[in-house]
Amino acid sequence: MSLLIHAISASPCDEPPRGLAGVPLVWVPAGELGLWASPSEGPLDRELVFDHHRIVEQLCARTACLPVRFGQRVEDEDVARERLAARAGELGATLRRIGGRQEIAITLLWQCSPVIEGRGHRVQASTPGRRFLETRGQAFADEDGRRAAAEALAERLVRELAVDQADVRHAICPAPDLALSSSLLAVPGAAEQAKEDAVRVTATLEGVRAVVSGPWPPYTFAETA
Amino acid sequence: MSLLELTDRLLNRGVVLTGEATISVAGVDLIYLGLNLVLTAVETMSEKQKTA
Repeated sequence: MSLLIHAISASPCDEPPRGLAGVPLVWVPAGELGLWASPSEGPLDRELVFDHHRIVEQLCARTACLPVRFGQRVEDEDVARERLAARAGELGATLRRIGGRQEIAITLLWQCSPVIEGRGHRVQASTPGRRFLETRGQAFADEDGRRAAAEALAERLVRELAVDQADVRHAICPAPDLALSSSLLAVPGAAEQAKEDAVRVTATLEGVRAVVSGPWPPYTFAETA
Repeated sequence: MSLLELTDRLLNRGVVLTGEATISVAGVDLIYLGLNLVLTAVETMSEKQKTA
């Protein structure tokens, strides 16, 4: 039976959580690492996404883990072992860096379009062709303005929250109404304080509405090159 | 929004061991479903702000 992979850790833990649909989790050791997985056949659906998250969260609460992206399925334990062994070095290094830590998410939504001095212009052309080009030019200038404002917000967050650059990831303007989607890596035991700090700092930002979420396992920081 | 941010992370981030999986729910790629949910929520929120 194929296996849906949940997380990677250095050692098994006592009393692991139940796997998907309540079945026991499978531990597949491979050298200095191992992975947790559930037997899984058939289509992957929305319920399984959140069941996967429950398992990852409970594993991370018991031992230092790297969360695996939902939907990673292998044919059997031998293939799982092979895949893990092939990347043991980089995964082990990432696990040592982020194991035991948690992620806080900060989302900033535009409340109004930022006004950037010296950017953009009014479309004044009278002919269709020129009007088209000027409209396009204005759209690009607006986009640049939003991006510059979002980058300034990201820099301000990093500065005021006093986080290490290695412990933060930003997605600048990931959607038209979103200024920023950021992830912060909190040290063990300090995630709630980090969240409170993020709420306090984002409340002072103008022109955006902030939503602070988490903590949850460090999905964003588990990605390797 | 919190749920959507979490969904985005579950579907688009984390260790990739086996390459990108094609995950479908009723013919809709779940990878894109997460993003669409985010966009829909943002649009709804914007509409509410405009009418408030």
